[in-house]
Amino acid sequence: MVFGPIPNREYHEGHMRKAIEMAELALASDETPVGCVFVHQGEVIGRGINGTNASLNGTRHAEFVALAEIMAKHPPSILRETDLYVTVEPCIMCASALRQYRIRAVYFGCLNDRFGGCGGVMTVHSDPGLDPLYPVYGGLYREEAIMLLRKFYVQENNKAPDPKPKKNRELKTEILPISTPQVATPTVGTPTSEIAGLSLGKAGRAKSPVKAG
Amino acid sequence: MGVRADSKTDSAAGGDRRPTKHMVHVKTKEECRLGTVTIQVWTVEMPSKHAEGVLKVIKENIEGHDAVDLQHLRRFAKPKFLPPHVLGDRDLAKELHAIPRAWETRRPAVLQHPNSRWEWATPGKVPRQENRAPTLYLMVCPSSVIGLQDLRSLLLQHPPFASGADSWAYPLVIKEVTVPRMAPTCLEQAAEWSEAYWPTFYRKTNPFGAHPSTIDKAKNELESPTEGNVSIEQVMEMADQAGLATEKAGLGIRTGCVVVERVDSKTEIIAVAGDARLRLPPSAGGSPVPSSGFDASPDDSFLAEGTEDADVPSVGSEKTASKAKRKKLRKKRNKALKAAEGTESNGCSSGNVMAHAVMRAIGMVGRKRLRVASHMISSAAAKAESNFTRVGLEHDEDARDAFFLDMPLTPLEQEYFQVNNLKPDGYLCLKLEIFLTHEPCMMCSMALVHSRVGRVIFANRMPRTGGLTAETVRNDTGPIGLGYGLCWRKELNWQFMCWEWTSAAYAMEQKARQERHTAIMQQKGRRRNVEEAATVTAAGGEIDDDADEDTDMAPDQPDMDDDDDNANAGKLSFTSVHV
Repeated sequence: MVFGPIPNREYHEGHMRKAIEMAELALASDETPVGCVFVHQGEVIGRGINGTNASLNGTRHAEFVALAEIMAKHPPSILRETDLYVTVEPCIMCASALRQYRIRAVYFGCLNDRFGGCGGVMTVHSDPGLDPLYPVYGGLYREEAIMLLRKFYVQENNKAPDPKPKKNRELKTEILPISTPQVATPTVGTPTSEIAGLSLGKAGRAKSPVKAG
Repeated sequence: MGVRADSKTDSAAGGDRRPTKHMVHVKTKEECRLGTVTIQVWTVEMPSKHAEGVLKVIKENIEGHDAVDLQHLRRFAKPKFLPPHVLGDRDLAKELHAIPRAWETRRPAVLQHPNSRWEWATPGKVPRQENRAPTLYLMVCPSSVIGLQDLRSLLLQHPPFASGADSWAYPLVIKEVTVPRMAPTCLEQAAEWSEAYWPTFYRKTNPFGAHPSTIDKAKNELESPTEGNVSIEQVMEMADQAGLATEKAGLGIRTGCVVVERVDSKTEIIAVAGDARLRLPPSAGGSPVPSSGFDASPDDSFLAEGTEDADVPSVGSEKTASKAKRKKLRKKRNKALKAAEGTESNGCSSGNVMAHAVMRAIGMVGRKRLRVASHMISSAAAKAESNFTRVGLEHDEDARDAFFLDMPLTPLEQEYFQVNNLKPDGYLCLKLEIFLTHEPCMMCSMALVHSRVGRVIFANRMPRTGGLTAETVRNDTGPIGLGYGLCWRKELNWQFMCWEWTSAAYAMEQKARQERHTAIMQQKGRRRNVEEAATVTAAGGEIDDDADEDTDMAPDQPDMDDDDDNANAGKLSFTSVHV
């Protein structure tokens, strides 16, 4: 259960707060407001925001940027005792990478209904596979994570091949309560539209060059 | 038809040249789905002359009769094409009484063709069926749209069911039948469903994957390249060479990736990358990647990462290194890796996951894009780069490069990386073509989706780790895999065409199946042509036409044995590895 109760919630909220701060800084720099921190024994060993615009590489997500920082000083095996706190659920790619690196646990804010890999669209963290599974806990500062994304997506995206005019978009502030999708069964169900307040057209989504998560 | 199929294959293969491998399009998740989704519909039988009238009544009076797209099903079907359970029990007594009405549908005897039977001449031998006015079954609408009683009272108000000359012979009988909800994805499925449910079309369009003609066009471009363009054989060989080079250098396993751009039908090789997962991470003494001016002196460069001094790319100092020393270095590196991995490592997640060939190649494309970018794009990227420092992130480019390894590591990689042949200001890997030695893992598969690639061709399936193929049940297209089918998922915001580059043995098996299938379809077609009274032949003819072109969708044959599952399976050098 992705949105189940989180033991020792205050402790984890403390770390998620740092991830939210990263996302806020990213938003202030016109970068996709997704932030993450990796925590090892209570200590932050890596932080990240999206690097897709800087590298023109669509795979340079916040998690990967943070992993690069970690690997500069630590062996990959440190991740087995490390937890990830990320404002938006890791995408399918990151979810798989984290599993291959054997992350200990993942805490996230809101679901990623476009390409989430930990319950949003697929359940890479818990599907049958070669690597050990990892537990996922969602919903830490969910509303803030969603609002950060909405604030970003009302802006126009000039990097897209066919930028959509978004002048008429208004920022919605209503956040629907969690309606938990069927996260137990892989690859089915219509996930909750966490950033549905964006009223994004399908085409607009498809062209966005920067990805949350 | 079989002949046409053969000649087509021969011309594609280029006369007497016999390619050892073929491109076989990978089935999408939806094409692989197990069960048939069905829907209940009302049907009613009526004399054919009333068919249009009844349909009009339905269209005018039943709201939402076409809300569900059932274009793949015949609206009207002749009884002889319907499965027995749809026909149900017929009231033969009433049909017997309908015999005198036969004059309505026949010409006067004096105008009858000399070859036709004279009814009065051999009355006993005329089959009852022939004398009955022809009827059609109409698929009214999904039974969820209108209740049985409402439909009955509606139809009873109109001919032929309203009280009248015909109504006594054709009482209103409404049946609920089960029909396939979705369009079939191939010919065989259409034939199967036609027999099991209701006459079904295969329209040679594919709602569950790329359009067949798009697939054929792409396949043709790749298998029969025009002058000056690279062929798939060449590129696939290069991908293998890329993997071989990094493996030989002790950097990774033997998997490789080549990225090709096709602009105005001209191909350019954009990036070549081998796997580099075993290259030492910086934390274990791995040196930064030489960021520019890679001197193609393979051994020296390969060994650079083994040096203790992380700061020196040390081309010169390594030249004197003896073989023994190299061996020692390699041993040391392996030891470090083992330590990093932990002893329980089963080899499936070894080394630096980020240095899988696909990730490296995508990274190289990004770097190349930066290099050839216009001022506007490059300044935007520089601004984004400066964000890292603004948010207080450490700005250690060497560490980043050593982690992502999106710089060339071998002379082969360098040869193609250094050329500025990428069209400027393109977007990510939009519509680029990716050639792989192995089916990529989930991470790499999703990276391809994120990067908006156009076509992907891989040589070896990875049933235990691969993310592109969709087979979760045994079928004729490949072994059971994880079933993610990331190449074509509606849920995601990008889809691309994907092929397996598979051996001649497998392709021949496919062809044999194809021929068997064509023969079956021909037989069916003949049978139908005999039966069909030259009027509504459209369906039969359509199916026959399709039969010889449908090479990508292999028919489902029950006589499969394990060897058939995938010719490539035997060639895997590693099955439990994320590639």
